[in-house]
Amino acid sequence: MTLAPSLINLDALAAGKSGTVVHVAPTNGDGGEGADLARRLMELGFVPGEKIRMLKRGMPGGEPLAIKVGNATFALRRYEAALVAIQPE
Amino acid sequence: MGVTEKVAQAISHAPMIALLGNPNCGKTALFNRLTGSRQKVANYAGVTIERKEGHFMSPAGHPYRVLDLPGAYSLTAHTPDEAITRDVVGGLRANDGSPDVVVCVVDATNLRLNLRLVLEIQRLGLPMILCLNMVDVAKKRGIEIDADKLAQELRMTVVETVAVQSGGEKGLLRALDEMWPVVPVKPQPLAAIDAVSVEDTQREVRRILSLVAKNVHNTDDRSEKIDNVVLHPVAGPVILAVLMFLIFQAVFTWAAVPMDMISGGVEHLGALLSEHMADGVLRSLLVEGIIGGVGSVLVFLPQILILFFFILILEDCGYLPRAAFLLDRLMGGVGLSGRAFIPLLSSFACAIPGVMAARTIQNPRDRLVTIMIAPLMTCSARLPVYALVIAAFIPEREVWGAVSLQGLILFCLYFAGIISAMGVAWFMKRSAGSKAKQALMMELPSYHWPNLRNLAIGLWERAKIFLMRVGTVILTLMVLLWALSSFPGAPAGATHPPIYYSIAGMLGRALEVIFAPIGFGWEICIALVPGMAAREVAVGALGTVYALSQKGDDLATSLTPVLASSWSLATALSLLAWYVFAPQCLSTLSVVRRETGHARYAFYMAGYMFALAYSASFITYHVARALGA
Repeated sequence: MTLAPSLINLDALAAGKSGTVVHVAPTNGDGGEGADLARRLMELGFVPGEKIRMLKRGMPGGEPLAIKVGNATFALRRYEAALVAIQPE
Repeated sequence: MGVTEKVAQAISHAPMIALLGNPNCGKTALFNRLTGSRQKVANYAGVTIERKEGHFMSPAGHPYRVLDLPGAYSLTAHTPDEAITRDVVGGLRANDGSPDVVVCVVDATNLRLNLRLVLEIQRLGLPMILCLNMVDVAKKRGIEIDADKLAQELRMTVVETVAVQSGGEKGLLRALDEMWPVVPVKPQPLAAIDAVSVEDTQREVRRILSLVAKNVHNTDDRSEKIDNVVLHPVAGPVILAVLMFLIFQAVFTWAAVPMDMISGGVEHLGALLSEHMADGVLRSLLVEGIIGGVGSVLVFLPQILILFFFILILEDCGYLPRAAFLLDRLMGGVGLSGRAFIPLLSSFACAIPGVMAARTIQNPRDRLVTIMIAPLMTCSARLPVYALVIAAFIPEREVWGAVSLQGLILFCLYFAGIISAMGVAWFMKRSAGSKAKQALMMELPSYHWPNLRNLAIGLWERAKIFLMRVGTVILTLMVLLWALSSFPGAPAGATHPPIYYSIAGMLGRALEVIFAPIGFGWEICIALVPGMAAREVAVGALGTVYALSQKGDDLATSLTPVLASSWSLATALSLLAWYVFAPQCLSTLSVVRRETGHARYAFYMAGYMFALAYSASFITYHVARALGA
């Protein structure tokens, strides 16, 4: 999948930076599990149009991620966050 | 018909209310408030994993039944606990119909997330009440919600509640009385929920919020500030380690005084009975069997309560999910789901709730691995065994200034359990060849001050559970063990104490053949057998066995000095190693069979743990011997 140049995946967002969710999509070739994860992320509030902010990234390897969406904070692993495409601010 | 029967009949026909909502929004607190029960409440998602039923009378005198359900972000169940919620609400369970009223509990500080579930449930067409819970917190943050307008938009009754405050449920009770009589409605099939996409539902949530609420974006700055420190890549893990370390230090240092008081009381009672009773079978049963055995277990109550004091505070303030965050790399590294953290942590209390909490894990394979390693977390029943052996063999002195050596050793034993659990998980995942990535998706809730009432109730419940065990299982086993250890008596011209010739003694000596290579004498072997029923019993059993092994007048009810003089250090270390991997207590194995649905997993578990325990003890014993211990 190619993204518009300004869009990045959520896992690439630096700590302290904000953005807006543009779309949530299963990764290619992952079959049912990716779709399931994408749906689950949407249920947690990662829905297009929602503002998100990267609060903290763990060590080592910048994983897991603590992400604020709406008024809730969720911890995600990298590959989960990679399903969310965002428009950084 | 008696009054109680009338009440029972009224209740069995009473309308059924289901409490439904996102995880950690206060459903169980509200349930406790309504029914006066004491279900476990804590500040993380996934505390409630079962359907719990209660009942209450409204102020107007109407009876209601109420169901507390596991929290869910949607009715598309991904995990076994969410499936329970879905089945109850959809009326899919064999024995109950669908609920008559759905009480949707929402966290008023996060309507953006919580309202979507409300809109989804609404499509089922059941009578609904919306509870704006935690309105007190929302108001403090300046979030203004117009409840009347919200009720108009949603076309349902909206009430404000504060489930953690006495009287905070009144609004809900009033609304229920206004709804009376409840007319049963057949719900739409669950598929009705998917008629509208998640995106469209979220758009509707945003539209409603823009009409009824102000300052919904006000977030919890305090929690964020705490997280800046607590989740810091360097400071975070250091804080976690120091915290854990302090807890184990406290378990030893704070408990010393109350433990001395209890053991003093027990010894005094034993001495008093010995003095005033004629020598005979009854005195032996009371002094050696009951006081020697049960008393030696009872002494550990203060340590267990101190451990739970800290666990309960950490649970209630919201730190636990942060600990899971910090340890996620470790968990992910061995192929565990991030969600395995809470079940594993629960296992420090007891493996049984831990194994059950694994229901919150989506992938069946992950769930199984988590269940299999849960008993390697040091449960509170192992604490007495550790504490006894440590107190007998590890000198009570301080190292590096202010660190108690005994606390340090205890910390190491807990750590050994964790490390071996990670090793077993890694091995199981690797041999299963699973390459699937594991999800985390864990909510980090706002911090709040621990509720002192909850803490007091939690500790009281713990003390009750422990005392109940001491009074029932442990007492029974102690009496049984005493009988087996006392009969038949010693033959004429015996050179050993009578217990050596008893039934238990014969059993112990038979087992000694197997356990001698790891340094266990026949006395320990006797204690291992009842230890299968409940691990603390091993301590009580040692109490009885050694009380009966004493000759003549040097009868001691205090076990510590006796052990210190009868065992070598190598034997003591070997016993500690044995209990790190301690072969299962039987109730854990039966829960494993129930939760996995297969007896073979219970056998696998017992087998691998026996093998690990024996190998670890063998190595420990021989290395210690080689080093001269």
